[in-house]
Amino acid sequence: MRPVNGERIILWTLPAAAVLWVAAFFLFPGFLPPMSPRSSADEVASFYRENTARVRYSMIVFNWFCVALIPILMLVVERMRGMAHRTPVLRYCMIGCAGAAPIAFLTASVFWLLAAFRPERAPELTQLYNDLAWITLTCGVPFLVAQSLFLAVAIHLDRQETPVFRTWIAHFNVAVAVALVPAGFAGLAHNGVFAWDGFLSFWVRNSAIALWIIVMSVVLARALPRDGAAAEATA
Amino acid sequence: MRPFARGENPKRELWLMWFAVLAFYQLYTVVFFVLTRTQPPGSPSYTAAEVPGWFASHHDGLLVGLALIFVLGGLSATSIALITYTIRRMSVSRAFAYSYLILYSVSAVPGFLFICVALTAGAMRPERDPRLQQWLYDLGFLSFSGTMGVFLVGSLVWMAAILLDRNRVFPKWFGYLNLCNAVTEVVVAPAWIFDRGVFAWNGLIAWWINVVVFGIYTGVFINLLRNVIIREDFGTGPLPDLPPRRARRHTAAAEVA
Amino acid sequence: MTTTQAPPTEAAKARRVPGQPDMWVLVLVESLIFTSYFGVYLFYRAQHEAAFLQEQAHLDLWLGIVDTIVLLTSSWSVARCVQNARAGRYPAAVRDACVTAALGLLFLALKIAEWAGHITAGHTLTSGEFFTHYFFLTVIHAVHLLIGLVVVGIVVRQLADPRRRDQQVVETCATYWHTVDFLWVLIFALLYVAR
Repeated sequence: MRPVNGERIILWTLPAAAVLWVAAFFLFPGFLPPMSPRSSADEVASFYRENTARVRYSMIVFNWFCVALIPILMLVVERMRGMAHRTPVLRYCMIGCAGAAPIAFLTASVFWLLAAFRPERAPELTQLYNDLAWITLTCGVPFLVAQSLFLAVAIHLDRQETPVFRTWIAHFNVAVAVALVPAGFAGLAHNGVFAWDGFLSFWVRNSAIALWIIVMSVVLARALPRDGAAAEATA
Repeated sequence: MRPFARGENPKRELWLMWFAVLAFYQLYTVVFFVLTRTQPPGSPSYTAAEVPGWFASHHDGLLVGLALIFVLGGLSATSIALITYTIRRMSVSRAFAYSYLILYSVSAVPGFLFICVALTAGAMRPERDPRLQQWLYDLGFLSFSGTMGVFLVGSLVWMAAILLDRNRVFPKWFGYLNLCNAVTEVVVAPAWIFDRGVFAWNGLIAWWINVVVFGIYTGVFINLLRNVIIREDFGTGPLPDLPPRRARRHTAAAEVA
Repeated sequence: MTTTQAPPTEAAKARRVPGQPDMWVLVLVESLIFTSYFGVYLFYRAQHEAAFLQEQAHLDLWLGIVDTIVLLTSSWSVARCVQNARAGRYPAAVRDACVTAALGLLFLALKIAEWAGHITAGHTLTSGEFFTHYFFLTVIHAVHLLIGLVVVGIVVRQLADPRRRDQQVVETCATYWHTVDFLWVLIFALLYVAR
């Protein structure tokens, strides 16, 4: 049997995970349109009372698969091995970020599930869980920003005739990092573009993440050695 | 790894990491000590009625400072990566290096993400029920000060690697200093039990003495990391000694030319 | 833990401090940290002298004296261990190290018995300021003693195996044990004796 190194299988888990993320995104009743930070405690509590089931099922799906990005990031790390670097420090940075970033998603989903677990509790408590969930998801970008920047630096330092990733990918990653920055300031505003339901903190941020996943998966698919070629190379 | 292009400083990645480490710790100090004024920490003995006052007097600083951490906190990965690299340069098993990498990557979440989320949530809604504000206040400070295990075990892993290392990557005395840092993580434990006095999360013993030890430890290791980069020869044997100052300036000039 | 340097030269043999010089950084820093704990204790004791004295009366001075004798004896046996190792009498040195560890365990057992006695009598970590300091200082010291037991284990392992023997490591470990003993004497003087 032809040896298989499995990287392509990992890559193909991404569309499956992406379908589930998109499904969770549309199933969650509070994303279209995003819930407002200006809602009163009673409004928030009645939202969870009315939409209990959809919050639960969407967040259960998100909780299952929000960490599915880690194997994809490890594919990026493996590609970084081929870069003309003298040391593995940038790979270590990526591994560190890949470990820490999904925990923000995981924690946010736990807060949402908690909010929907006893919707009949005092409205102020439900609002507290709701605030924690939105802040964790929206502001929890430090490792996403950092990992885009580390990848950009790694590509920039990869000076060889046929670099692993082309230069525009570095620029693209910097742009994604910049697009994620405003979300970190979501705590400062209850309305406007910076609020967690605002243009920058919600739409730009989430589009940037989605775009990053799409672009990087295409780039990775091209950069992966074919299984046969990989087998010949190692033989 | 591919052969390296000529004319480029082979240590550029390491220096990049080191300056990022320096920048990160500066930012950390400015945010927590100056902007948010969460260090020295607020008092754990505040009643629920007093906590909203604390949030009110720290409101703007908290939101701006913590937002900066939300945006730039990921730079902490550079110090983890650089230290992992130095442990890999030692004669000990790579298991030590990878343990350090994972322990400190995990530590980022309870170490600074929780305080940022909890205190942002508190500052965003000053009108919230004071008892809930107190709940957030406790979550913020206790997760920050009371996250002990990863740093305890992380310091011990680093200590063991340094003491067993035969490549002289770090001086042995720094290995022992790791033990002192590990002990501070034991000393902070009473912060989970006392809400006032010297053992509380803002107390003389559990905060002030610990923060002095941690500050010295951090300053020392940033400096030692710099020395390791200067001494690095990309071999696998013992690291050479630090060249004398004048020679160093000379080679730096040669590298620029 | 062994060093790779070439065989020690005459100059190195004539060094002034026993063991690894680097180890003295640990001794110095730990002594400074404990000194600051003592300073805090004395400051609060001066503030609430009556309350401290009242609680302190529940400590058994004789138990403290026994503890001290046990630890001082262990220090003596670790010193003998170093001497025997230096003279090449390795079986005797291993025996001394084992005696040290046994005395360390005895000290720990006495401490646990003492803590259990105080706790059943209602004097716990949170019952009063003196007992808070008492439990803090004795527990932190016990943590150092537990590390010390690991350290003595390293000595035994080093001395038992002819390929591992390294006088410097033995002396470094002994220095640590002496530090733990020295810190106990200070704790004993402050908590049990000074009234």
